[in-house]
Amino acid sequence: MSPALRIARKEAGELVLGLRGQLWLAVTTAVLSGFSLLLVGSQELSLLDNAQVVYDMAGLITALGALLAVIAGIDAIGGERERGSLLPLLLAPVPRGSILVGKLGGPVAAWAVMLALAAPYFWAIGSTGQNLTSGMAALLALGTPVVLGFGFLGVALGAWMQSGRAALSVALTGLVLSASPLLLGPSLRQSAIGRMFDAVNPFSAALNCFDAVIIDSQGAVSQASHAVVTMVWLAVTAWAAAAAMRRLSR
Amino acid sequence: MQYRSMLIATLLAVPLLAGAARHTRAAAELAVSLAPIATNPAAPRMGDRLAFTSSIRNTGAAPVEGLIAWLSLVQVDPGHEQPVDLEDWSAHKAIALATLAPGAEVTTRWPMRLIQSGQYRVVVSAVSRAGDALTPSRFVDFTVAPKPVVESRRVLPVALGVPALLVVSLLLRRRRSAAI
Repeated sequence: MSPALRIARKEAGELVLGLRGQLWLAVTTAVLSGFSLLLVGSQELSLLDNAQVVYDMAGLITALGALLAVIAGIDAIGGERERGSLLPLLLAPVPRGSILVGKLGGPVAAWAVMLALAAPYFWAIGSTGQNLTSGMAALLALGTPVVLGFGFLGVALGAWMQSGRAALSVALTGLVLSASPLLLGPSLRQSAIGRMFDAVNPFSAALNCFDAVIIDSQGAVSQASHAVVTMVWLAVTAWAAAAAMRRLSR
Repeated sequence: MQYRSMLIATLLAVPLLAGAARHTRAAAELAVSLAPIATNPAAPRMGDRLAFTSSIRNTGAAPVEGLIAWLSLVQVDPGHEQPVDLEDWSAHKAIALATLAPGAEVTTRWPMRLIQSGQYRVVVSAVSRAGDALTPSRFVDFTVAPKPVVESRRVLPVALGVPALLVVSLLLRRRRSAAI
């Protein structure tokens, strides 16, 4: 087994099956259940459009996944440093790139579990409406690079900054800024600054893709520009994490 | 004696008949019209909003006192013919006017949110304090197309069941690891 895969299995096991992971999964299901219960109302008065709710839930899951990934990414280096286990890891005869890839195993596994947990919620709120399957495919296709990008960002910040708390506060600030389109509807982002922000923000790209696919029933091919933004985000953050890992000495 | 009684009865009956005729006239002196507004969607769906404008005009020579007008909605789908309770459809269900002068007109806008799909007829009816019959407008028909919506009965089992299953599986895992 390659070192990267071995590290990934260890990280995934700790993050998904450990106490921390169990708590996180409980929080995730609590958030999804809370969101779903807000939709419960009188059957006759229920005028909530399925597509709108599926879109909202796709954005919510992406935000939860990005939050988990950035925290896990910071902990992968910053946490190891604070626990005193970073130096033995760096001294092990394992390439830095393999360590980086292995450390992403935790967020990847957690993201996969989150998607699996979200599936019944999607069915409950969206199976009577339109574009549920294509919406979940869009979440998988564009949500994954966004989430993994935040994981890489967490690793980079954890490696660059000596303080885990400082890295966490910077990362959370960035995540809140990036995920702000969840709160600001498309009509509020039509200013020149809003459009510029949307053009480079991977979270906006994912949300705009969800909007187009789930609500507007557009085809996947027309979403290539949004996919490019998320892939560029993934590439840039992966490069930043790799650069930070190369410079990491202790 | 008999002629005198008939004369008294006739004298008493004339004002009563005149009053009744006046009442009938009062009912007929109102002209009520109803029309959808121009911005209504051409093919409305559940959740959309419609609005109608009614116009009530006093066509008589005397003021109409104590005018009341209200909106009524009926569903006319075959097998589902029924009056519709406007409770959820509209917060603006009736107007009252102390008096409407001869020749005067009162125009009212009736907003409505479409709750259920189906074929509907809407009408505005007006009565006055003295009238003995109501004056309706002509019906305005519209059809509400269905829209896929969140079904609450699907949400509840998942929203409560998934966390419960997660907790049970965690407890089982913990018990198994404790046994080992």
